[in-house]
Amino acid sequence: MLNGALLAADEINASALGIHFEPSIVNPGGDLSQYSALATKMLERDVRHVVGCYTSSSRKEVIPLFEKHDALLWYPSHYEGFESSTNVIYTGAAPNQHVLPLVEYLLAHHGHRAYCVGSNYIWAWENNRILRESVTARRGSVLAERYFAVGETDFHQAIEAIIEARPSFVFLTLIGTSAYQFFREFRTACRARGIDQAREIPVASCSLSEPELQAIGEGAVDGHLSSSVYFCSIESAANLQFLNAYRSRFPQGPTASADAEASYNAVWLLAKAAAAAETDDPRAVKAKLVQQEPLDAPQGAVWIDEQTFHAYLTPRIGRSNRNAKFDLVCEAREPVRPDPYLVHSSSRFEAAAAPSLRLVS
Amino acid sequence: MTEPRLLQNFSGGRAIVVTDRASSLEVLTTTLDRLGVTTSPADIVGSIAAIDLATLQPDRCVVFIDGDISDGTVLPLSAIGRLPPAPVIGLLGVSAPSRLKALMRAGASSFLRKPVHGAAVYPALFVGINEYRRHRHLETLLEDQERRRRSRRDVVKAIVRMMSEYGIDDDEAYELLRRRSMRTRQTMEELCKDLTQSSNGQEHGDFVLRRKLAD
Repeated sequence: MLNGALLAADEINASALGIHFEPSIVNPGGDLSQYSALATKMLERDVRHVVGCYTSSSRKEVIPLFEKHDALLWYPSHYEGFESSTNVIYTGAAPNQHVLPLVEYLLAHHGHRAYCVGSNYIWAWENNRILRESVTARRGSVLAERYFAVGETDFHQAIEAIIEARPSFVFLTLIGTSAYQFFREFRTACRARGIDQAREIPVASCSLSEPELQAIGEGAVDGHLSSSVYFCSIESAANLQFLNAYRSRFPQGPTASADAEASYNAVWLLAKAAAAAETDDPRAVKAKLVQQEPLDAPQGAVWIDEQTFHAYLTPRIGRSNRNAKFDLVCEAREPVRPDPYLVHSSSRFEAAAAPSLRLVS
Repeated sequence: MTEPRLLQNFSGGRAIVVTDRASSLEVLTTTLDRLGVTTSPADIVGSIAAIDLATLQPDRCVVFIDGDISDGTVLPLSAIGRLPPAPVIGLLGVSAPSRLKALMRAGASSFLRKPVHGAAVYPALFVGINEYRRHRHLETLLEDQERRRRSRRDVVKAIVRMMSEYGIDDDEAYELLRRRSMRTRQTMEELCKDLTQSSNGQEHGDFVLRRKLAD
C-alpha cells in the first residue's frame, strides 16, 4: 500500500500537473493504540490528506480525528461497507464490488454449500453475513461458520470438519499468517486423502493478493479463487506501465497488489482534484474530486461516486496459479457503481435462519 | 406468531421531518439519500399537525421529529400510549427530561443527536424502525391474547356442555373440541363461541362425537 502511494507521488512530482507531494510516513505497526496518536501528530502538523489504514478497526480509530480537524483520509483498502464518513474517500472495493461477485461466481460454478472460516473480527463477521444472505436467497446453505483468533495457526480440527462436511467451497476470511497456514494445511490434508482440493473444495477469498500467494509458498499456492478489482495479470497499457514503474522503483518487492494499486489510484485522484481546486483545502478537493474525468488506472477507468465518495471499480475473479499470480476467470464488463450500504443489492430483510451462536476456537 | 425479521435495507423508504429549522438538515437528508430513503421538500414540515396521516405507510415511512420545535409542542402522532402510524425517530438538541418525555410520548423509538452525524443515521434507522416493528408485532400478539381471554367464558361453557351431554370428563371434552377446531380450521375460541351461541349446538356436539367414535 505504501509503495503504491510513493510511486504515484514520484510520478506526480515528475509530471506537469503542478502538484508537489512531500510524503510524510508514519508506521503504527498494526498497534491500534498507535493509530490515533500518530494521526493526531500528523494532523496537528497541518497534514490535510492522509492515505492509509488497512483494517477497519484502524480506520474507525482515526475517523473522529479527521472529522475534528476536517482533514481527508484516503482509504485504499477493500472493506465490508456500511460506512460513509464525510472525511473519508474510499478508493478500495465496497462489498458489492468484491463479496457479491464472488458469491455469484461460486454459486454458478462450484455449488450451493458454503463453509465459512474466518478471523474473529468485523471483516469476517460482516462478509460472512453478506455471503449468508446471498447464499440463502439463492436457496444455498451455509454448513458452518468457524472463527479463529487473529494470528491463530492451528486448524487441524477445523480442516477435519471441513473434509467431513464436503462443502462446495470454503469461503475464507482469515487474514495474514492464519490464512497462509490454513491454505498449506488444508492442501496437505486433502492430498493425504486423495482429494484434489483446488477442484473439489476450492478456497475462495476477498483478501488474497499476489504478495500473499508468495507467502503461502510452493505446493499450496495454486487453485485458489480471489475476488478483487485488481490483479497484476490484467492486460492493459496502463497496467503494464504501472507494473514496470513499480518494479523499477521497488526491485526488492513486495510485488504489486490490489492494495498497492488502490493507494496508487488514491494519490493520483487526490493530485488531480487538488490541481483542479488549486488548493489542498479538503472541502475544495472533495468538490473537485467528483467532477474529474475517470482516471486511467491500472485496473481500468476509476472515478468517485458523488453520493457515497466510494469509487467506481471493476470487479474480477482470479484463480491463482503455480507462479503465484492470478489467471482471470471472470470480469465485469464495466466499472460497477459502489453500493456501500448494499441499498441496491441486498434484500430488505435479514436472511432467515442465521445461527444465534457463533463458534470461536 | 413468529417474530418479524429485521429490516436492514431501507431503500425505497420515505422520510418526513418535523422541524422549524429546515436549514440544518443537510447531513440528515444527504445521508438518508445514500441509504435510499428520500425526503422531498414537501416532506419537511413545521409541525406534526401538518403531516397527512392518511399517506403514512408503516412499512415505508419514517418520521423524524425535532425535539426543539420553538413553540415546544411535540404532539403524539396518535392517541397517547398507542403505536404511531409509522416509526418515529427523535432529533435531540436539548436532552432535558421534558424534551425526552415529549419525544417518547410522540412515539420515538430511537434518537439522533443534533447536529446530526452522518455515521449515526443508519444505526438510528435500524434501531428505530426495527423497534417499531417489534412493538407492532407485540401489540398484535397482545390483541390476540386479549381476544382469547375474552372468549375463555365460551370455552368453559362448551366444555361443560360436552361433559354433561355425553358423560365424558373435562379432558376428553377439551380434546374433542380441539380436534374439531383443527378440522374446521377455526380457533378453539371461535368454535366454542359458535357451539354455545348457535341454537343447534346439540347437532354440532353430536357431529363431534360421531367423528370421535368413527376415529
